[in-house]
Amino acid sequence: MKRVSYVLSAAWQGFWRNPVMSLASTFTVGLMLLLFAFFLATDRGLQATVGVLESKVELALFLEDDAKVSDVLALRAQIEADPAVSHVDYITRDQAMARLVDIASRQPDIQIVDISSNPLQNSLEIKLQNAQDAPRIGATLRQEVGKGVVYEVVDNPSVVDKLLTITRVLSFGGVAVLAMMLVVALFVIVNTIRIAVHARRDEIEIMKLVGATDWFVRWPFILEGMLVGALGAMAALTVVVLAAGPVSNALVGFLEIVPLSFGAAFLWQLVGSVFALALAVGGGGAMLSVRAHLAK
Amino acid sequence: MVAARANGRGNELITLDDVSKHYPNGTEALRDVDLRIESGDFVFLVGSSGAGKSTLIRLLIRDELPSSGRVWVDGQDVVRMRRSAVPKLRRRVGVVFQDFKLLPRRTVAENVGFALLVTGHSDEEAREETERALSLVGLAERRDHFPDQLSGGEQQRAAMARALVSRPKILIADEPTGNLDPVTSWEIIKLLIRVNELGTTLVMATHNAEIVNALRRRVVHLDRGMVVRDEREGLYAA
Repeated sequence: MKRVSYVLSAAWQGFWRNPVMSLASTFTVGLMLLLFAFFLATDRGLQATVGVLESKVELALFLEDDAKVSDVLALRAQIEADPAVSHVDYITRDQAMARLVDIASRQPDIQIVDISSNPLQNSLEIKLQNAQDAPRIGATLRQEVGKGVVYEVVDNPSVVDKLLTITRVLSFGGVAVLAMMLVVALFVIVNTIRIAVHARRDEIEIMKLVGATDWFVRWPFILEGMLVGALGAMAALTVVVLAAGPVSNALVGFLEIVPLSFGAAFLWQLVGSVFALALAVGGGGAMLSVRAHLAK
Repeated sequence: MVAARANGRGNELITLDDVSKHYPNGTEALRDVDLRIESGDFVFLVGSSGAGKSTLIRLLIRDELPSSGRVWVDGQDVVRMRRSAVPKLRRRVGVVFQDFKLLPRRTVAENVGFALLVTGHSDEEAREETERALSLVGLAERRDHFPDQLSGGEQQRAAMARALVSRPKILIADEPTGNLDPVTSWEIIKLLIRVNELGTTLVMATHNAEIVNALRRRVVHLDRGMVVRDEREGLYAA
C-alpha cells in the first residue's frame, strides 16, 4: 500500500511543484470543458425545442379580434377542403390563455404576472397530413392577411427548419471549436507534465535503474494529468451550475414557452461526460508526455 | 540455447559474444568484444576514457543495445529480451556510479528503501532489507541523515546499499572511487571486496591504478572498443 501512497503523493507533489503551470493548464482544460458543457446543453435544449414544436400544430392562423364568426367558419371550411389538411381547430383567446396558464404552472421559472386582461388572440390551428405541405398552404393563407379575418400566419415547420439549421450549425461549429480547444488543452497538459517529468528526471532515472516497471514510473504523471483534468471539470461544472439559472431564464424569455428544464438524468449525463472527457484529456496528455520520455 | 548458456559453461553469469556497438554519430564504442564472467568473479575494467567501459556497462543493464553480437546476463538474452522483462533484469544487477545518484530530499534509509518500494515489495520487507543493507555498508546509524549531511564516502556507501538491497547477483561499479580521496576510496574497495566475498559477482570500471595493482584481480583492458588484455591477477598496465 506504500506504493499506492507513493504514487498518489508523487502526483500531488508534482501538481504543486509548479503551481503556475498546473493552474494554467487547469484553467485551459476548464475552459474547454465549459464549452463542451455549453454545447452539450444547447444541443439538448434545441433538440427538445424542435421536438416540442414538431409535436405541436404545424400552422396557426391568428385572427383579427373583430373578425366575424361566420367568416371564420367559412375560412375554416375552405382550409379543411384542402386534401393536405388533416384537421383544423378553432381556439378562442380564452382557451389559449387557459393553455398558457397550464404550461406556466408546469414551469417553475415562469410566472404569469397579470391575467386580468388577455392579450392573446383567437386562432385556427391547422394539423397537416404531411408537414412538408406547410410552406405551400402557409403561402396561400398569407394572401388572406389584411382582409379582415386573418391577422398573422405562423408556419411552425419553417421555424423547426430554422431551429434545425441552428442546431446543425451549432453542432459543426461546436465540434470544430471543441476540437481546437482539445488540441490546446492537450498541448498545455503535455507541456505541464513534461516540466513535471523534467523536475523528477533524477528520480525517474533511479527508478528505471533499480528495476521499476514503466507503468510504475508513468502512474504518478498520469494521475497528475488526471488531477488537472478533474480540477478543470470541477471548475467548469461550478460555472455551469452558477450560470444555468440565469441562462435558461434568458433562453425561456427569448424562445418563449419552450420547456428548458433539463431534469436530473441529463444533469448527471452532463457531469459524467464532462468528467470523462476531463480525465481522458488529462491522462491522455500525460501519457503522451511520459511516453516520449520513456521511449529511449 | 538459453539452457546451453546457463548450464553448458559452468557458472557463467555474463557473456558477450562478438559484441560491437557504434553510435549514429559514427563513434565505434565497442568492436568484436568477447567476454565471459563467471559467478563470484571480481573483474576490473580498465582503459582510458572513451575506451568503451561505460558502453559495456550500459549493455549489461540494457540501457543500450549492441549494434551486433549477443549479450547474456544471468542466463538471459539481453538483446532479444522483451522490453517488459528489462525491469526484472535490473533488479538482479545492482549499479553504483561515480556521482552516487542519491535523491537529495530523501534520507539514507528512504533512498535505499526506494529501490524496493518502486519494485513492488511490502513495507515490512523493505524495512528489513533496508536495515540489512545499511548495516552491511556500515551506515545503520546514519539512516535518517540526508545525502548532503554525509561525506562522499558515506554517500557512495548509501548508493551501494541501494544497489545491494534487492540482493542482486551482480554488482556493477562505474568509477565508484572517482570522486573520493585515497583513504575513502580504500574504504569503498574494502566494502566491495566484502560484498564479493559474500557471493556477489563484481564488475568495476576504474582509472585507479593503485587499487588495481594492489588487489591483483582479473583485469579486462579495453582500448578503442576492443579487449586488448584479459588477465587473471592482472595489473593496471601490462
